[in-house]
Amino acid sequence: MMATEPVVELDMVGKTYYTGDIATPVLFDISFSIVPGEFVAIVGGSGSGKTTLLNLMGLLDRPTAGCVRVESQEVSQLDEPGRARVRRERLGFIFQFHYLLPEFTVLENALMPCRMRGRAFEKQQEPRMRELIAAVGMSDKLKVRPPQLSGGQQQRVAVVRSLANDPAVVFADEPTGNLDSVSGRMVFDLMKRLSRESGTAFVMVTHDENFALEADRVIRIRDGRIQAPEETLPPVSSGSSLP
Amino acid sequence: MLTYFIRSVAFRHLRYSIGQSLLTIGVVGISVLLIIYLWTVISGTQERITQNTTGAIPHITVEPPERTPVGAWQLTALGQNTDTLYVGEVVNLPKAREGIEDWQLWLPYLDGVDSSLTTVSPTVSGQAFMNRGSRQQSVRVLGVLPERHNGVVEIEKNLLEGRFLTMVSGDLVLGRKLASDFGLKMRDKVRLVGPEGLTLNFTVAGIYNTGFGQIDDGQVFVTLRDGQSLLELGGSISSFGLKFADLYKAESISQKIAPTLPFKVRSWVIDNPNLFRTLDAQSQTRNLILIMTTIASGFGIASILVMVVTSKYREIGILKAMGATPGEIKQIFVLEGLLLAIVGCFVGVPLGVLLLKGLAAIRTVGPDGRVDAPFLIIIEPSVLIGASIVAIVVGAIASYFPARRAGQVDPIQVIRGA
Repeated sequence: MMATEPVVELDMVGKTYYTGDIATPVLFDISFSIVPGEFVAIVGGSGSGKTTLLNLMGLLDRPTAGCVRVESQEVSQLDEPGRARVRRERLGFIFQFHYLLPEFTVLENALMPCRMRGRAFEKQQEPRMRELIAAVGMSDKLKVRPPQLSGGQQQRVAVVRSLANDPAVVFADEPTGNLDSVSGRMVFDLMKRLSRESGTAFVMVTHDENFALEADRVIRIRDGRIQAPEETLPPVSSGSSLP
Repeated sequence: MLTYFIRSVAFRHLRYSIGQSLLTIGVVGISVLLIIYLWTVISGTQERITQNTTGAIPHITVEPPERTPVGAWQLTALGQNTDTLYVGEVVNLPKAREGIEDWQLWLPYLDGVDSSLTTVSPTVSGQAFMNRGSRQQSVRVLGVLPERHNGVVEIEKNLLEGRFLTMVSGDLVLGRKLASDFGLKMRDKVRLVGPEGLTLNFTVAGIYNTGFGQIDDGQVFVTLRDGQSLLELGGSISSFGLKFADLYKAESISQKIAPTLPFKVRSWVIDNPNLFRTLDAQSQTRNLILIMTTIASGFGIASILVMVVTSKYREIGILKAMGATPGEIKQIFVLEGLLLAIVGCFVGVPLGVLLLKGLAAIRTVGPDGRVDAPFLIIIEPSVLIGASIVAIVVGAIASYFPARRAGQVDPIQVIRGA
């Protein structure tokens, strides 16, 4: 198999929180990488450090040890505006609570990451986003505002939004955790389908073992460490998933 | 730089939270209205008081220095100078104060002292008795060149009948109250007895009502020449009265010209110290009210924006997670504060102008029968612009702190804390 350059790499990453003089280590020596188009599930019990790991990968937080690389660029030591720029241009996010902006329509919400990069980029991406919204079955809701949508519909918009800036990787923090089982399944299938179709890597933190088992790879975290060995379900078929 | 993203989020926030936006606009609008209203009305009142005080008097008076009386024991040393004034000697005005004999030589010089000068009026003044039939009253006689003195106090405009500017020798112009006290009508004869006993006859040539008590009640105007004769001043005058377009320049001009003249130079400011103290106290009160209004407006904007920031906590977090920088978030909220302040100005300024125009249109009849505006309202564009600038700057400062708080929102806490 041809070696594919990772979109995200973690090299001996550690995180310790400090409260005054008290140090609380949360993550220890985490090393792994994500390749394009890969769908990775991170699972672990409450307080295992999986969300902290996702925040470090998503540049929402800084590691206290090791380094994080996004598309080979060392990003963990960037300042806040620098990390914000990388998030804006190369990363996508889906959260448990969809957090759409209530003042904006479905289409505008989906285009928000593009809007941050300027009107021209937003205009350029609009046809693609319309297609994606149609692909998730919400083409009749383009001009509707979020408060008029169900939780599942809102999360579908959030999934579309995460792909707006054509990211290298999308981080999803328990995206189905706040949904009923039918809506949760719909959103999970949608993420998998979009990952496959767009060739975008997805890293999903989940409690749901069923969803985890359907991922290309599962990273299990326990007490801040990766549980060895990594369990790999269907091998990464990077050739077929990339456009 | 205000990017498309910043502008669109700020505008949409304001439109979506229209109730909060209108509340803030109302707070700013009322503050601007108050600033404009208070400033204009208090300044107008001050101007009215100042005009009432200075309207009938010259802004600068140039007169000969008072003669210093000498002790009787110095009589021998001083020789036979009969013109010397002695301590305790009861004298009339011409002896207590010398006249200005060569006033015609000084007149061109005074005419050119400052560009804001409107008139220089050579004047003779003194007390005389006015007689008519059995009635007799002490009056102040002012001998003037009418066309020049009309610049000091506008007699011609306030004439009820007769003439002032074309007054000739033998004419006398007096106020309505004095005329009615004496039962005088136009062309009636009246007699004036000077301080040295000289009696001259005059004909009433004009009756005026200026609204200034001291001019309307106890003062008469005659020509300069007649005044000199009645007061036995020869060719001298008692003083020059100078009037300026800007009365507040009088004191500095007075100090500037005093060393160049062999006379005593006094501005109206020196003669009216209590007025100045009153105006100063009024200005300080006005400024205090304006500062309080401005601070209240600032707190109003700040508190509403703090509410907005708190209610948008999650959205700020998600925007930051998606890549909005702290600077961009800060700019969104400062822009919101600025927009609210600007729209507030657009509401407050026209309302303020409307209110002031309403006040300016009010007319009341005074005790002297004159119909006049109780408020002196001068709507200065600089006040409107100044109030708007103050509101906008306060809006920007007031929105900065909530905006900074918004910029510091930690997306991790928001995402996990919902």
